[in-house]
This record gives sequence, structure tokens and C-alpha cells, in this order.
Amino acid sequence: MLALNLNFSALAVEVIFLLAGLTVFLVDRFIKNKNYAYYIMLIALSFGLFFLLFTPFGEFTSAFKTDFYSTTLKFLILIALVLLVFISYAYLQVFKALNFGEYYGLILFSMLGAFVMLSSQDLLTLFLGMELLSIPVYFLIATAYVYNRASLEGALKYFVAGSIASLFFLLGVGIIYYLVGALSFKEIFVKLAQNISKKELIIALLLILGAFSIKLSLVPFHMWAPDAYEASPLPITSFLASLVKFALFGALIKIMMISFSPLRIDLGNLLIPISLLTILIGSLLAIKQDNLVRMLAYSSIAHAGYASLGIVSGDFIGYGFTLFYMFVYVFMTIGSFALLIYLTSLKREYLHIPSLSGLSKGLPLVSFMVLLFFFSLAGIPPTAGFMAKFYLFIALLKSNKLWVALLAMLFSVIGAYPYLRVIKVIYMDRPMGEVAKRAYSVTLAVPILICAFVVILLGIYPKPVVDFIQRTLYLYLSFLYFPF
Amino acid sequence: MEIPKLLSLILWFPLLGILLIFFIPRERENAIKRVALLTALIDFVLSLVLLFNFDYGNPSFQFVEKKLWLDFLGSYYFLGVDGISILFVPLSTLVTLLCILISWDAIKEKVKEFYLALLFTNIAMVGVFLSLDLLLFYIFWEALLIPMYLIIGIWGGPRRIYSTIKFFLYTFFGSIFMLLAIIYIFWQFGTFDYTVLLGKGFPPYVEKLLFLGFLIAFAVKVPMWPVHTWLPDAHTEAPTAGSVILAGILIKLGGYGMVRFLLPLFPQASIYFSKLILVLSVIAIIYAGLACLWQSDLKRLIAYSSVSHMGFVTLGIFSLNPIGIKGAILQMINHGIVTGALFMCVGVIYERTHSREISYYGGLATSFPIYAVFFMILTLASIGLPGTNGFIGEFLILLGTFLKDKFMVVLASTGVIIGAAYMLWLYQRVFFQKPKPYLMELPSLSWNEHLALIPMIILVFLIGIYPNPFLDFMRASVAQLMVNLH
Repeated sequence: MLALNLNFSALAVEVIFLLAGLTVFLVDRFIKNKNYAYYIMLIALSFGLFFLLFTPFGEFTSAFKTDFYSTTLKFLILIALVLLVFISYAYLQVFKALNFGEYYGLILFSMLGAFVMLSSQDLLTLFLGMELLSIPVYFLIATAYVYNRASLEGALKYFVAGSIASLFFLLGVGIIYYLVGALSFKEIFVKLAQNISKKELIIALLLILGAFSIKLSLVPFHMWAPDAYEASPLPITSFLASLVKFALFGALIKIMMISFSPLRIDLGNLLIPISLLTILIGSLLAIKQDNLVRMLAYSSIAHAGYASLGIVSGDFIGYGFTLFYMFVYVFMTIGSFALLIYLTSLKREYLHIPSLSGLSKGLPLVSFMVLLFFFSLAGIPPTAGFMAKFYLFIALLKSNKLWVALLAMLFSVIGAYPYLRVIKVIYMDRPMGEVAKRAYSVTLAVPILICAFVVILLGIYPKPVVDFIQRTLYLYLSFLYFPF
Repeated sequence: MEIPKLLSLILWFPLLGILLIFFIPRERENAIKRVALLTALIDFVLSLVLLFNFDYGNPSFQFVEKKLWLDFLGSYYFLGVDGISILFVPLSTLVTLLCILISWDAIKEKVKEFYLALLFTNIAMVGVFLSLDLLLFYIFWEALLIPMYLIIGIWGGPRRIYSTIKFFLYTFFGSIFMLLAIIYIFWQFGTFDYTVLLGKGFPPYVEKLLFLGFLIAFAVKVPMWPVHTWLPDAHTEAPTAGSVILAGILIKLGGYGMVRFLLPLFPQASIYFSKLILVLSVIAIIYAGLACLWQSDLKRLIAYSSVSHMGFVTLGIFSLNPIGIKGAILQMINHGIVTGALFMCVGVIYERTHSREISYYGGLATSFPIYAVFFMILTLASIGLPGTNGFIGEFLILLGTFLKDKFMVVLASTGVIIGAAYMLWLYQRVFFQKPKPYLMELPSLSWNEHLALIPMIILVFLIGIYPNPFLDFMRASVAQLMVNLH
């Protein structure tokens, strides 16, 4: 007799997201005022937050389990998601042709995928989550078709790249199953710990790493990123650059920590050239970009490279710092894209960097915010961007990778230039043409100020968040290996 | 007068001014200027209180404040002053104060941002001199780049953008190596605490690498000979206040860092590399001095003279004896005063004529007598005439170096002669000769320019005639330093 004890409380957040997403899809035809979806989204997020924090950890079948790790990451994602919804609302007020309920519904589905991925306990569930994370994003990129014909191209590029990633991943999983005879993370770990035959495994791991590299836009799989980023609606670009990558890093770290922890040092070494090249190429290509979104897209590639340095360190502390880096990066990105949305809502040309010249004259506060976020992205103290990089370098030195840290630091000098250039244009160039009149927007001001606050606060006092993440990892791992 | 947490107060007081200015509407420029001036003045007074409460005889750190900051890293919010840093704190606040005065009428656009940036600079500068935690030190060190980048880039001259980006990337590049060294130290010893690190020894090979890591950062800031090229550009294009801060404080950070970190933390490496640095210093002195001779731009000339003078400073520091080090510290203060004031003078005349070409001027002594007197005094101080502060500093440095390496002193002394040549020739070209007709109708010095220049002139003579109190400040700490060094 098959006795299935289905514990739905472990699935509460996911169920809420699913229901809210489905509701939006069902009723969207019948409601004229499309802003309703925004409120449904906010309600779903607040319920999700509530259930996330107040339901006990548990398993839903052996494939899905909420624990310290997944709950923490979901919590961080949910907070950032609220900000993202705010800026989406502001964006959709300007670009009305995109204002459909499905827009929010797709974001919800995508994040549902992220949550499934983070809670998954075996490679196939993780794969399902990963697909569910990506597929709605293909649609979301293509929604900008009304305004930008290139968006189809971007979506298609991402779609093709994503399909190849899925292929890689499945192939890797297949080989692992062939070698180990298991898919569950813990079983893989047990089998690997018994007899490590690295040679066969390395192909499988390379494939899985390749899949993640495509999704995280690491070199040499970064080609899709600038086109897709430039083509999508701005909030979706920030979503793609920040939250999606955050969730993917979370999942990658999860399998590194559990299944492949005997091999994590080798995997780290494998990643060294990838990370360094990603940083270098991302930084170099960002220099010449005149389109602000494209510049940020290349910089996003470089930042993914930095974040992966924590994985290079092959150390649990380094993993924590990767997550911290991505957390900071999420706020920097959402903040800067909120500014971009504000600027485009004033004047479409503002996405062209030279046309920003003399912006500080008409919009001093906005210019200052750009300055803050961009210095943070460049990694200059006393902003959070510096602290995040600093912790990563510490992790690298701790694992004896001095020269990797040195190279990454040197590349960060190159990486600073594109941001300095934008600041130069805004503050130091003479204004060309008229500076747009300022307009107020609460839904943009709130996320910008929150992000600015986080960026400054974590720059001066990063301890709470770092401790929070490190403790989560510590608790998670100790419960994993020594369950009570 | 006892003020609790005096160092934090000095460090963070400008923040109050920043917040106030932030909420003043940008149209009310006078209010902004007054708030900035008042903030800087109070901060300067506070730093004087610190100076007078300082205990000469005590070589260790005083007014110490220590609070756990990042416990994961064992990093502290750790402030303290000793004889090495004590003089730099009032110098920084004084320079900020005078910069606000000298920019009173000179800065006409983006006034609010300018004073915000200046006060932010003040925080970062004082923070560098006060922090005894390596991470904290690095953060202030780098944070200083942000306002300086803006000050040069926004309010600077025609080639300001090239200069400011060059300045930023140069110093950022240099600092990276220091950051790496700091992280390495943390990894080895698990602490950023300067006082704890003092007692630890490093393996010789590691010590040399760490020394080089720090040296690159400091050498770029000083700037020493092969990496000095950012300085003439940055100085030339910066607005007056920017040049004054650059000359007065920013390039002192390098010298200060050498005395504070290189000598005590890496004594063996310091001895090992001292010859190299002496040679580089002498090259800087002579090369930059010669470069001064064929400059046609006033500011550029003084900028190159800075490189030459800072060559003396590094020479004194790496003579590795108390006389030379004391001379170097005093010379840094002197150079801050004299060159800072020279840049103010150039700024004064530039505001009136908008030309920095030496050949544009001539005969200013007839139309501008008081100004000519000021400039004369500063010129003589820059040359190092006895009775001015420049003499004391250079004399001590040469004396200290003489004990170490006589040949270097001979070479460095030629630098003094070259210095006299270019400064006097400059003075002759600008102030004497036939008066140019278009220079006769210029407005005379205004109240704020007088107020900015007179304190500097007083200090020139004060240190020049009676340097003992200033040397007393550093005596005990430098003696302590020498104990560590041998």
C-alpha cells in the first residue's frame, strides 16, 4: 500500500504563488483596469512572506523540502521582489501597452520556479524549477515587442541559449545517474563519498556547470546576455540580471554544498578561468557601450564573474560570500534600474549615455543616486559594493588563491571605468539640449531610497546580513550532516 | 578641557554640516557657504583642542576609541592619535577651512555639491589619519577618491575629465595592491588591528611582498618618481580648492602611510628596500626639479615642485633615523602649508585673469604689492630659506640622510639649488619685469583671500623660527618607532 503523507504546509508559498498567477491569467480578459494585477501581486507577496516565515520546515515528498537554506533565500528574494513589483508598476504606467495582468503573472511563475529550485532535493526537481524559472522570462522579454522590434531577437537568443543549457543539464544529470545510480542530492553525496572516480564524473560536472554558466551568462556563454537585456522591458532586465541570477547561484551553491561537496575544490579550480575571463571580458566590453542598458548588461556579466569567485574558493564561507555579493548586487541593480525607468519616463533618449550630459543640473538628487549606485557597482568604499567584493577576496585568500584575488582586483580597476564614465557625463559634461523637467513618482522613489539605504548601510555595517547568511549556511549544513 | 570621544567628534562633526547643507535649498548659496564655513571652523577648533590636550611624553596612542565593528572579520572601529598623526589632524581641518574661504567667490556653479564634497573630503582625510584598523584605514583611504574625483572633474579646468579619470584610475590601481596586502595580513593573523600587528613578525619573503603591496599604494599617492605622472595633470586641472587639498593633504597620505605602516610593520623589508627608495627619491628630486625649469604653466610648475619636495620627504623617511623621520614629518606639514598656500596664490590670480601661462604675467609686484609679498614669503619658504619652515624640514632631512648615505645627500642638495633656481626665476618672470598693461586694473585681494593666506604665512614663520613645539609632538613616538625598527 502506498501511504503518501502530503504535507502541503511545506508548499504554502508556492501554492499561493501558483494560485495568484493562475487567477491573473484567468481573469485578465474580463477586467479593463489592468492595475488590479499589481494589487493581486502585492497581496500574494505579503501572504507569501507571512507563510514563509510562519510555516514549520517540512518535506513535501522526498523531492521538495523547506529548510534553513531555502527559506532564507526565499525570504531575501521576496523582499527584493516587492521592490521589483514597485518599479514594474511605475514602468507599466508609462509603457501602457505592456500593462497586462500576465506581466505580473509571469513574474510570479518565474519566481515559483526559483522557489521550487531552491527547495528541491534532487536533480530532476531542480531541473524543473530551473525551466519554470526561465520559460516565463522568455515571454517577458518578448513582451517588449510593441516598443522594440529587437526584443523578439533577444527573447529568441535567450530561448536558444536556455534550451542548450537545459540540454547540458539533462545530459549531465543523465551521466551522473549512470555513474552513481541516484538523483537525490544526499544519495549522490553518499555515493561520491564512498568511491570518488573523478574522471568520469568530470564530464557530467562540466556539463552541469556549463548549464549554470549559460544561465548566469558567464564567459564563454555570455553572448545572449547583452541582446536579451537590451531588448527586454527595463524591470525585466533588472529581474533577469539580479533575482534570476541570485536564485541560480542559490541552487548552484546548494548542489555544490550537498551533492558535490567532495569535489568542490576541483570544481572551484575549474571555475577559475571562467570567473576571471568573465570579469575581464564583461568589464572590457562595458567600456565602449553607449547604451546605458547595454553597459549595465556587460557589467552584469562582470558581476556574475565576481560572485562566482566565492564558488572558486571552494569553501563554505566563500559560498556565503557569493550569496552576500548577489544580495548586494540585487539591490544595486534594482536601484539603478529604478533610476533608469525614471529617466526613460522623462525622456526616452536618456538611455543613451552621451545624452545624459549635464543631468546633475536639472536633476541633482537623481544624479546623486546614480553616483551612489554606480560607485557601489564599481566597488568603491564606503558603499556595499566594496564590502561585498572585499569579503569575496578574503574567501579567496583563505583558500590560498592569492593570484586569483590579485587578478580579480586588477580587473576591478578596469571595471570601474564604465561607471566613472557615466558619472563623468552626468556631472562634468556641459548639458546638451534641455534637461527634462522633474516629475514625482512614489512607486519609484520608495524602491530607490530603500536600495540606496541598503547600499550605504551595508557599506558601513555589513555585519547583520553577512552573519545572517553565514549562520544560515552553518545551521543548514549542521542539520544536514548531523540531524537531530 | 576634556571632551569625551573627541576623535569621533572631530571625525564625524562635518557630517552634521553635510546633513544641514543637504536640506538647504540650492538657491540659498550664502547660507550653504556659511554653514560649511562654520562647520569647518568648529571642526578646526575641536582639532586644536585635541592638539592642546595631547600628551607629548607619551609615545603610545592617545584618545583611543575601540569598538567591535565587523566581528566576523575581527575588525574594529579603532581610532587613536600618536605623535606621528597628531599634527596632520589640525592640518587637515585647517586646509578644509581655508579651502572653503578661498572658494567663497571662485565656485559659481553647483555650489551645494561643492561644499558637500569638501566636507566629505574632510571626513575621509581625518579618518585616514585617525584610524588604527587596517580595514577602516583602507575604507577612508578609498572613500577620499570619490569627492576628489568630483572636485577635479566638475569644477576643474579645460582638461579636467582626462585628469580626473587618470587620477582616479592611478590611485585606485595603486590601492588594490594595498588591499591585497591587507587581506593577506588578515588571513595570516586574523586581525586588522594595527597595535596587535606591531608585535608580530612576518617571514622575510612575505614581509617583502607585503611591503611592496603597501609601497605601491603609497608611492602612487606620494607620488614617487615613476608613478608621479597623474599629479601634474590633476593639480593643473583641479580648481584652487582641489589643488590645495591635493597638495596639502592628499599626497601627504602616502608619506604618512609610509611612516605609520611601512616602517613599523615591515622593519626588515624597510631596511632592505631603503636604498632603492632613496635612489627613487633622489631621482624625483632632481628630475622633477629640472622639469619645473621648463614649465610654462604656473600650476604645473608648482605641481612638479611638489613631486620634488615629496622626494625629500621619502628621502627623510627612508633615511631610517629619528632626525630624518622627524624632518620628513615636519616637511610634510611644511609642504602642506607652503604649497597649499602657493596654489591659493595661483588661484587668486587665476580668478582675476583666467590664465595660468607664466608668459602672460609680468610686473605684478607694482599692481599687486601685498600679494607679491605673500608670494615672496612662500617662494622663499619653498626654497627653504633659513627662518622659514622649509629650511627646518629640509635641513633635518638632509642631516638625517647624511648619517645614512652621504652620496645621496650630495645629489639631493643639488635639488635644493635647482629649487631655488626655478622658484626665483618664476618669481622674477611673474612679479618683476615690465608691467603688462592689462594687469594693472585688477581688483585687489578680497577679505576671504586675506583670511585664507594669512594663517599660512603665520605658520611659515612660526615653524621656521621656533620649530621646537612641533618637533616635541613627534619626539616620543618617533623614538618608539626607532625601537621597533632596530
